[in-house]
Amino acid sequence: MRSLLDIILTPDFAFSAIRVTTPLLFAALGALISDRAGAANIGLEGIMLMAALAGVVFSAYTQSALIGLLGAILIGLLTASMLAYFTLKLKTDVILGGIALNFFANGGTIFVLYYLTGDKGTSASLASMVLPNIHIPVIRNIPILGEIVSGHNVLTYIAILSAIGVWYVLEKTALGLRIRSVGENENAAKSVGVNVMKIRYIALALSGVFAGMGGAFLSMGYVSWFSRGMSAGRGWIALAAEAMGRGTVLGTTLSSVLFGVADALSNTLQLLNIPAELIRILPYVATVVGLLAYAIRETNKRKAKG
Amino acid sequence: MKKIALILCTILILSIGLTACTGGGKTPADEAPQGQAPDTDKLKVVLLIPGNLGDKSFFDAANAGLELVKSKLGAETKVIEMGTDSTKWEPNFIDASEGDWDIIISGNETTEIMNTLAVEYPDKRYIDFDTSVEETAENVYSMFYSTNEVSYLAGALAGLVTKSDMELANKENVIGFLGGMDIPGINDFLIGYIEGAKSVNPDVKVIISYAGDFGDPAKGKELGLVQYNSGADISFNVAGGTGLGLIDAAKDKNRYAIGVDSDQAMLFKDTDAEKASRIVTSAVKRIDQAIYNAVKAHQEGTLEYGKHNQVGIAEDGVGLAKNEYYEKLPQDIKDQIKAIEEKIAKGEIKVGTAFGQSTEQINELRESVKP
Repeated sequence: MRSLLDIILTPDFAFSAIRVTTPLLFAALGALISDRAGAANIGLEGIMLMAALAGVVFSAYTQSALIGLLGAILIGLLTASMLAYFTLKLKTDVILGGIALNFFANGGTIFVLYYLTGDKGTSASLASMVLPNIHIPVIRNIPILGEIVSGHNVLTYIAILSAIGVWYVLEKTALGLRIRSVGENENAAKSVGVNVMKIRYIALALSGVFAGMGGAFLSMGYVSWFSRGMSAGRGWIALAAEAMGRGTVLGTTLSSVLFGVADALSNTLQLLNIPAELIRILPYVATVVGLLAYAIRETNKRKAKG
Repeated sequence: MKKIALILCTILILSIGLTACTGGGKTPADEAPQGQAPDTDKLKVVLLIPGNLGDKSFFDAANAGLELVKSKLGAETKVIEMGTDSTKWEPNFIDASEGDWDIIISGNETTEIMNTLAVEYPDKRYIDFDTSVEETAENVYSMFYSTNEVSYLAGALAGLVTKSDMELANKENVIGFLGGMDIPGINDFLIGYIEGAKSVNPDVKVIISYAGDFGDPAKGKELGLVQYNSGADISFNVAGGTGLGLIDAAKDKNRYAIGVDSDQAMLFKDTDAEKASRIVTSAVKRIDQAIYNAVKAHQEGTLEYGKHNQVGIAEDGVGLAKNEYYEKLPQDIKDQIKAIEEKIAKGEIKVGTAFGQSTEQINELRESVKP
């Protein structure tokens, strides 16, 4: 009989936690950048789903994993831009727009899948490509650390670089300053000549790019096909992660990792025959706690304004 | 503006009139062939799916059965995907019952609706293609598949493979089971699997995971990787779309997997032969055949309505997929499986079932094989 610690303190577990975190981190970065610009993108779930399908379709027809990834990113960018057009230009409520996008993605992906493959469930009949795993030279040979850090999918490393990139853009560049000021106080930004609409467009488009990479990871990294509804709530958990991270890059990354670890734990602890239901609620308990933190933050904000 | 509206209206009215005319003109020519086989003679069968097609197992198999009914029995058929919103199922059922269908086929989650409505429409005939509920209305014929029996075979196979010297088998005497949810329908597979594995390999340990979701392949893969990393060299997926992730994990970790419901190796054979080769067999429910046989019996007037019929190994309602990958298994394993198959068919082996068992009893069994 193995004990809890034996199971958790293994490189396999850490490796699995990083893998589970990857799509969450991408989506959470997407949530972060749009939220900081004051346009909450709740269509991440749908964007991921569409990008996941796009990755499979583009890579299957071109036989190139890179084009598949670019296709996924492009579709992510386009759908997010569409959301931006409806909410910014045509003044739809951004939440309603996001909900509509999620419903559209849910049915639309199945429609496209059926149109292309004659199948409504999975794209198993399309010979799509997968993105490669990267073995980092030198580090891969270090015991334990190498086993944990090396050998992940290329998108996992891109996710980590993206987190650093988002931090840099938000904190160190003029664009970041504008994004933050637009989100913080639209009118003040306008008064100093910032084009609010343009900045929000850029932020939403970027969030689409990140969600697109998250989607590509699901269908081209995690598994090698698309299946209906495969984002399975990750877009929502990402929103919670962003909220729990209080809108900071570090906080968002850490809470994504927390959700990832909770999920990996729920997978691994089943080995101990602990009732599966109990373990599976871990990520959701974490979500509720996260949303609570979000609510408290919002209330305080309102109080501060009042 | 007004003018355009006027023109549009005129066009609309004209087009309606014209279509009516052409429609009328066509009628005699169109109806002539139909006249030879009036609707009253042709069997009309409708399949109501409580979900959507494309699951690669359950509903697709039912649809395949309907295709057989259409092509082999010459019936007029229609499939209605009622979606996952269960509040829409009853109105769909009423519509179908009010319509001129002779047989209405559905099953699984719609059993209750079917049994209630069947009483209200005594002239209609209903076929329930999957239910464990034994009481049915007078005009309902219901079926159930002995999934525990086929799982017994799958378990025996897994128990033999893990202690064999097959290429990808490891030394540890551990096998895996991935269930979609901790519910009787899934645990029926589990009980058969454990009993079967123990029958050939008394010391075998079984890692049991539940995904809690039938549509999250990434989760299935994660759970599969955990199982294979913990010493399992073969695992049985009973988790719909989630289970396909387990097969991916088997490919990544160079281990074996057992498919479920339909012959899952055939899914990947053309696109990913390596993955297909890891699926040594699948525990198949022959829903398509069962539906076809039932409708055929209806046509011959021999279908016993008001009865619940369980089809198992003996009736060929379930079985292991004996494809090219199964044929590659060592001969002695195949021989043993064959012997067990015969014993089950003759009733010499009685496989336990999860239906009617308490959670404690199932837990006891799970604990007994805990690694």
